[in-house]
Amino acid sequence: MIDLDRATHSLTQFVSERFPVEKLNFHSMVEKKEVPIHSMSWGYYTGGLTMFFFMIQVVTGLFLLFYYQPTVSDANISVEYISLHVAGGALIRNMHAWSSSCMIFFAMVHLLTAFAMKSFVKPREITWIAGVILLFITFTFGFTGYLLPWNQIAVNATKVGLQSVEYVGQYLPGQLSEVPRILRETFQGESSVGQSTLGRFYALHVVILPLLLAALLGLHLLSVQLHGMSQGVDQPAKKFEKFISIFLFKDLTLWATVFLGLFVVAMCVPFDSILPYPLLAPFNALGATPQGIKPEWYFFFVYYPLELLPFWVILVASTVVVGILILTPWIFKGTSRRTLGFIASAAAAYLVIMTVFGEQIYEFFKH
Amino acid sequence: MIQGEKRVKMSISMGRYYFAVLPLLALQSLPASAYPEFQQFVEENSHRTVNCAMCHVNENGPVGNSKGQIGSFTPDEMKLLNQARAAIDPGVKVESPILNQFGNEIIKAIGKKTFVKIKSDPGRLAELLPQTSDLDGDGIPDAKEYLDGTDPLNKFHGDPGKLFFINLDRYKMHIILAIVAVLSLNYGLIHLINGISILQAGKSAKD
Amino acid sequence: MIDSLLFVALPYLAIFVGVFGSIYRMRTAPMTYSSLSSQFLESKGLMWGSLPWHIGITVILLAHVIAFLAPGFWQSLVSHQAVLQAVESIGLGLSILCLLGLIILGLRRLTSAKLQAVTSVMDLVVILLLLLQVGLGTAIAVHCKWGSAWCSGTTTPYLWSLVTFQPDVSHVSDLPLLVKAHIVGAWLFILVIPFSRLVHMFAVPVEYLFRPPQNVVWTNPRKFSADNQHFVREEARRHFMRAFAGIAFGGFLLSIGTFRNVFSFFFGPRLGREEETELMELRLSRLESTVGQRKLELERQASNYILVGKLAELSPANGKYFIDFKMQPAIAFKGKDELPLLISAKCTHLGCTVGNQVDQQGRILCPCHVSYFDIVSGEPNAEAPAKAPLPHLGWVIMDDGGKVLARRDAGGKTTGAVDPKLRETACVYISKDQEGKA
Repeated sequence: MIDLDRATHSLTQFVSERFPVEKLNFHSMVEKKEVPIHSMSWGYYTGGLTMFFFMIQVVTGLFLLFYYQPTVSDANISVEYISLHVAGGALIRNMHAWSSSCMIFFAMVHLLTAFAMKSFVKPREITWIAGVILLFITFTFGFTGYLLPWNQIAVNATKVGLQSVEYVGQYLPGQLSEVPRILRETFQGESSVGQSTLGRFYALHVVILPLLLAALLGLHLLSVQLHGMSQGVDQPAKKFEKFISIFLFKDLTLWATVFLGLFVVAMCVPFDSILPYPLLAPFNALGATPQGIKPEWYFFFVYYPLELLPFWVILVASTVVVGILILTPWIFKGTSRRTLGFIASAAAAYLVIMTVFGEQIYEFFKH
Repeated sequence: MIQGEKRVKMSISMGRYYFAVLPLLALQSLPASAYPEFQQFVEENSHRTVNCAMCHVNENGPVGNSKGQIGSFTPDEMKLLNQARAAIDPGVKVESPILNQFGNEIIKAIGKKTFVKIKSDPGRLAELLPQTSDLDGDGIPDAKEYLDGTDPLNKFHGDPGKLFFINLDRYKMHIILAIVAVLSLNYGLIHLINGISILQAGKSAKD
Repeated sequence: MIDSLLFVALPYLAIFVGVFGSIYRMRTAPMTYSSLSSQFLESKGLMWGSLPWHIGITVILLAHVIAFLAPGFWQSLVSHQAVLQAVESIGLGLSILCLLGLIILGLRRLTSAKLQAVTSVMDLVVILLLLLQVGLGTAIAVHCKWGSAWCSGTTTPYLWSLVTFQPDVSHVSDLPLLVKAHIVGAWLFILVIPFSRLVHMFAVPVEYLFRPPQNVVWTNPRKFSADNQHFVREEARRHFMRAFAGIAFGGFLLSIGTFRNVFSFFFGPRLGREEETELMELRLSRLESTVGQRKLELERQASNYILVGKLAELSPANGKYFIDFKMQPAIAFKGKDELPLLISAKCTHLGCTVGNQVDQQGRILCPCHVSYFDIVSGEPNAEAPAKAPLPHLGWVIMDDGGKVLARRDAGGKTTGAVDPKLRETACVYISKDQEGKA
């Protein structure tokens, strides 16, 4: 009984430290909030940018929703229809594609900077974990959205992606080894990627994931505002700027600039033109898989190692990384910012190298 | 490594001998082929994967019985096909049912004879094609798209770098207007927040 | 005759009087070379009248001047539809702003007793003239659209012909009455400049934009000693004014560019007959391929035998794709024994569809992760990511009467043989009972 009491007590204390009710008002959450100025201050903008791209995704996605048809016979044609015939459709679709990449890019940068700035220690554990889950949701957004145009690369990459899930099964003991297959078939809805898969991915992409993301984003933002900006560097900053007006100005100006950049790119470079055109042909269920099936660039960091190393290595490594990410607030509680910065730069270097030079590395080792 | 897998090897090059032969005969003996030399050249030149759909209707070339393949044609279509095969000299408008608009344009522009002749030097095709023709209207001429290995019939497909500058020029006024609009909106919003915060500060100073 | 009077004689007279009159007035009575401020007599109406009027007329006049001074540049600008639309809508909006401002200013002069004391007849004439002129301009913007585009072929050369002293009325002689009236109005307006408060436009107070704001107030010790709340409010108000200007202008510009597009996005395209037909054909063909797919599924559900193809059609190097009972792809080759060789095409690694072209070593390739499979043994090459072999499928050969000639089960055991005479007509099937056993 005493134990139970203590447990309840420590739980309430945990929650009340993370969500201090006395700070739950406009005055302390917005008016009084201040942003420290130091050499890492730019890190404070990355989260806002990610959110800005999410907002663009919501708006452009709603536009696309009016014309997109999630059936195997019409999906590809409806996407083509948007680009070719609907006024401004090509721009909207292009913005959706470019901005999805930007959103994922900035989400990753945000994670790395927050890590390097040690923004996850007490009382910000919940902010961090919500953020990590948000990143995974964002990746799932990318994965589900990739299938929707129903062209060669979309369907085949999805097939490979889903099949990799099943591949995990052979490393699991006994009854558990069936779980990945069941999981894959649940997402797939039938024995191979087809209409049921498209319907499920569509539901995930336009309803479930946005709702989840919005809810978690609410939690994330609430706790950010509650606790204020983290200190970010070892020496407490000497200068601060007010969140309302100064920081918000800079944020708004940055958003405006970024929006213009996105607009210009979306106006001028069709996202699809980066891929070879045979991959953009509508999916043909009866033909061979074309060459050059690849996931989107933001999966390269796991895709190329997967091609080069035995599957179990990747499996172990990614389980460990996910575990570390979730437990970061406790694992790195006592680590200095110097070390964290070093780890973050190493991770960033790995991501950049794998994304930019992954293909060359793959060719080098395979030939 | 993947050579054998992707190239469909047959030869329409003999097509012109068939030109008098009954359609039925052509159907049966099937000695047709896409020209893998051109595909090979484009892939090496551009480092992009291409398939038969650059010039043909069907992505797997003209052989078979699917859409755009010889096995699926009606007698009328066979007639068109044989007319196209007879277009030895340039300038003849052809509507071959195995070729797409770009394929037909090639035959019309340089004629079947020259086309077969440059098989050993596929890069010459880019020089022989009309330099201004741009079938998809994306601003990159067909000859350039051929060299780049991009789809000459899709206006959303082209070399990204080239498309960027072409479209930047094409939409410069839209872009300038958008920049002015967004920046003035931003200016307005910033002053709105500024005004509010000054009022707030004044109020709290009075309190 | 009347044309040359109004469009040649009047302009030269107006410019002469305007220029020399203004210079004369500046020399003789420099202190009157401005407009008398009436802000301390009445300020509310002044703000709502004078501000819109001056903002509007400054921009509009600037556009007129640019179109006149740099016709080439102007032409290149308005030949973009987006810009033309923006210029026209902004012009119309501003001219309405001007009109409203003028009306307020006029009413103010007429209704405030304090002001009437300082209002001259000339002031009223000026307001009337301006009302007329701006009204005409607005009417032109409404009735003779795209004036910013057509001016470069009409009024601009006319003005330049006046400047170069080779007056040519033919440029404007066939213009609508509205436009002609607007031109005459402009000359009249220049004519009265030296006699009115309008001279102040040659003394544009540019430095006003940069100096701190000044307000003329009645000195009053109570007000004077009041806290700086007033200044805070003033400061905030200045920000709000800028906010309003920025948001209004940006929003306006954005709306010109986007409203029509957003509307037509949702309105949807209305395709021409040919395009519509083409699209429908495409839709139909995609539906048909889905129908084909469903038929395959149904066939595999219902029947015991599935046709792979004619025995004679099979080739040793170029496989024929077909779909097996589990709706997975498979490939049919002709084996060395002249009998069919059926092998699954679903890669045992991650499920891509394996290619159907056999290489020199008798292998087929899965393009996704480069696994080569031997078609006879089904085994992948040593370095391949795929570890398991591709399974073979059993088959049945029947003649055209449906009589079974030969069969092979999934284990590879062959029974029966095909009479060479029947080779041409015999067909290869896969059968459900074999599938079950496998």
